[in-house]
Amino acid sequence: MSIKFRMLVGAMALALTGGVYAAGEHGGHHGSGGNGAGEPGDASDVSRTVEVVMYDNYYEPENISVESGETVRFKVWNDGALVHEFNIGSAEMHEAHQQEMQMMVEHGVLKGDHIDHDMMNMDMGDGHSMKHDDPNSVLLEPGESAEIIWTFTEASDLEFACNVPGHYQAGMYGDIEFK
Amino acid sequence: MMLRLPLAVACFSLALASPATTWAAPSDGGHNAHRHTVNSFWGVSLEEFEYRYSDSDDEVAVWDGDAFFGSDELKFRWIFSGEWEEAHDAFESLENQFVVQTPISDFFDAKAGVRIDTPEGPDRVYGVLGINGLAPYWFEVDSNLYVSDEGDASIDLDAEYELLLTNRLILSASLDVLVALSSDREIGLGKGLSSTETGLRLGYDLIDRSFSPYLGIVHERKYGDTADIARTSGGSKEDWFAVVGARLMF
Amino acid sequence: MGKYWSSLILALALPVWGQAEEYNLSVDRVMIDTGGFVKEGIGYNGASPGPVLRFKEGEEVTINVTNNLDEMTSIHWHGLILPFEQDGVPGISFPGIPPGETFTYRFPVVQNGTYWYHSHSGFQEPAGAYGAIIIDAEGREPYRYDREYVVQLTDKHPHSGDRILRNLKMSADYYNRQQQTVGDFWRESSEQGFLATLRDRMMWGDMRMMKADIEDVQGFTGLINGKGPEQNWTGTFEPGDRVRLRFINSSAMTYFDVRIPGLKMTVVQADGNNVQPVTVDEFRIGVAETYDVIVHIRDAKAFTLFAESMGRSGYARGTLAPEEGMTAEVPELREAPLLTMADMAGHMDHGDMDHSSMEGMDHSDMEGMDHSSMESMDHSSMEGMDHSAMESQGNPDPFYAPGSGLVPAAANGGKFLSYADLKAQKPLYEEREPTREIELRLTGNMERYIWSINGIKYEDAEPIRLQYGERVRFKFVNETMMTHPMHLHGMWSILDVGEGKWNPIKHVISVAPATTVYMETEVDAPGEWAFHCHLAYHHAAGMFRKIIVEGGPDESVKSLTKAAEAQDGGES
Repeated sequence: MSIKFRMLVGAMALALTGGVYAAGEHGGHHGSGGNGAGEPGDASDVSRTVEVVMYDNYYEPENISVESGETVRFKVWNDGALVHEFNIGSAEMHEAHQQEMQMMVEHGVLKGDHIDHDMMNMDMGDGHSMKHDDPNSVLLEPGESAEIIWTFTEASDLEFACNVPGHYQAGMYGDIEFK
Repeated sequence: MMLRLPLAVACFSLALASPATTWAAPSDGGHNAHRHTVNSFWGVSLEEFEYRYSDSDDEVAVWDGDAFFGSDELKFRWIFSGEWEEAHDAFESLENQFVVQTPISDFFDAKAGVRIDTPEGPDRVYGVLGINGLAPYWFEVDSNLYVSDEGDASIDLDAEYELLLTNRLILSASLDVLVALSSDREIGLGKGLSSTETGLRLGYDLIDRSFSPYLGIVHERKYGDTADIARTSGGSKEDWFAVVGARLMF
Repeated sequence: MGKYWSSLILALALPVWGQAEEYNLSVDRVMIDTGGFVKEGIGYNGASPGPVLRFKEGEEVTINVTNNLDEMTSIHWHGLILPFEQDGVPGISFPGIPPGETFTYRFPVVQNGTYWYHSHSGFQEPAGAYGAIIIDAEGREPYRYDREYVVQLTDKHPHSGDRILRNLKMSADYYNRQQQTVGDFWRESSEQGFLATLRDRMMWGDMRMMKADIEDVQGFTGLINGKGPEQNWTGTFEPGDRVRLRFINSSAMTYFDVRIPGLKMTVVQADGNNVQPVTVDEFRIGVAETYDVIVHIRDAKAFTLFAESMGRSGYARGTLAPEEGMTAEVPELREAPLLTMADMAGHMDHGDMDHSSMEGMDHSDMEGMDHSSMESMDHSSMEGMDHSAMESQGNPDPFYAPGSGLVPAAANGGKFLSYADLKAQKPLYEEREPTREIELRLTGNMERYIWSINGIKYEDAEPIRLQYGERVRFKFVNETMMTHPMHLHGMWSILDVGEGKWNPIKHVISVAPATTVYMETEVDAPGEWAFHCHLAYHHAAGMFRKIIVEGGPDESVKSLTKAAEAQDGGES
């Protein structure tokens, strides 16, 4: 199942149940459905490392060039005072994910400057939780860092973005350009 | 000699009501550009400015208004009213009151001062003590005790209610009652309930609230001794008027 | 050669290193054309609003203000942190600028964001003496946007300020054309029954209070950047742009509910201080507040920027469009709200209205609060009011009395910004316990149009004395039926929204009827400051205090304070 599809299901379930988080937990692997974002990469395929620093509501750098088929290791630091996300996807994927993140804020999982991991992992009653462990993203508290290894399978319109509510809208996104 | 007492009352209340800090004329020569707060105001209004046509074909010009200058704490107010009868080319009544006015509660003010009546016929000077304000249910009320230089006392009570047909088309009902505590036959006043004037005026606020033309009816009635005195001098006990005029406020 | 290079380097470095920028402003009589009427007013450099002043954080600015009027004037730099002698309040910071003279303001710019400037003399600000200030951050802006516009709102009235206040003093409802009529009575009777409606009217009549008493001064034309609804101020964009709109409410009296149908707005700044971005459909901007929002516009079409007054008696309108001349549908004004008994509660029962449960902003606590506070009211006279509405809704916005008629709702049913949504992007101060609390009851007599603090008007009041270095917790208790935007000069107002160190940093705190709101202030600016309700006619009627900050690191301040006192003494 592709990320996009799962997110769509998530968004639909969200709309249907009026508030039960239904996606977000990562079950299998991604990328086979040709959604264009790419797929989790293998460490052995990494051609280079790109360092990304997250500040309060912007990234440095704001532009990253990749080649089709390239596998990149992203080292991501959160140098801000707030929780931020680094998420690779299309504008539509980000939009869908933003609704999930909104739920996390409404349920108190995501506070301004920290993540309530206990609550995030809590079973919400139907086998679902608010876990944030999709391989195309990391969600970091201030001071934290993480890595993502990602293979850009094909050229498409991609952005890296922070989907903490309001952050993307305020301009916390960067462009991924295919050479 | 009787005049002195009410004047003294008026001056006394003026002194009481005037804390040094609050009564201050504009300190910068009249324009407000250099103050944080504005402490003195003025205003002129004519509640009634109208022509009355009676059921016995009399025509009367009537006005009732006031002008004030002062602060929240103390105002000087000149209250003026009169009735000019067309047939006799004479003032049936002509009153000027000069009062100081100060708040005594959230909605009421006390007034004290002097009233000078100079109509056709004998003149009178009165000391005035009164209250006016807004009673519950939006009744504007004004009540005064008058003591004349002849030693006669009377009380009047005016009440007015405005009914908003729309926010500009306003029906106002008014009732003025005069009660004499002693009779003053020379000016046609008998002891007891002396006279009432009831009015119903339909006005339209044409320019803000500064010019509101109206049409209405007014009923005047005299009672008891006052009615008898009026009859002996050839007047009527009861009159109906159609009125046309405007309410003015500047 | 070496000299050449060093001077070149110096020249390049200067703009970064706090260069002294110089600005000139003249205060002039101007004609203001709203599209509906033309009126003489006051402006800067020949226009109203005045020019947008663009400062850079870290620079020292010099502003020469030449008074071309025949009366005293002044300019207050609203929201700017500066030495008190530069704050521009006649009689407190300085004597004012006499006709024909030039006064030179000089101060370092120590902040960034959206602010504004206006005359602090008489009613010059309602007459048009206002303009916008943008201060660019020293580093990069923490947001990304492709273009930006100032959206400066005002409520231009055909009457002069002096005349408006005089009329209000003569008749407090002079400008209120939204009063309940006989027609409303019958309409309500048919819906709620004759007796219930009669009881309702009797109850309000008994108190001599009006449900429709929301906007004191109606009859204005809403302007955006000086343009009336018909003149349609337009900001252009390229499809795909993120546009930053810097909203400033420079109205004399009017709160606006702002929306752009078809676009979501992400609020990124309030009163010049960045906030954690929050996306909304609509927001209410109090008098003298500023909000910066970012809108992401994907479609190549026009969008109406619609700012309805809180009491729905007027509106401002502009357009965002790919090119000038395009327009979008202008919405109808929504129905005017009416105050409820909940908005009256502060007026009716002062003592019991300590909304202490707001302290922690615990929403569940608020439920209990309306009942306890209402208990002390006369229930027999409350029959007419709609209890169900008060209870079923829960508490949509803790900054309004539960059941208040003023609680805003977005036109599209979406998200309406609340003060509770505002969280500082970056705490400005270390969080610490306040050293003391000062209670300020916002008081007044509507019928007499008297406005005061703790029941005392400015001219009768002692100044509030604060000690340099303390952190004061101000408790605003609104005992009136009006909403008051309280503005403290010189020091930040940290609004308590229950978020601790993330509490937003503002310069205007709007206090709704019958509510208690707390703010904390780090007393870090010596000198004398003004503190007042920013509604022009409330301020002029007495809702104003002088704040004296005693002590402080700078000895020279004391002598200046004395000089100002002598000046002030000469005034009154």
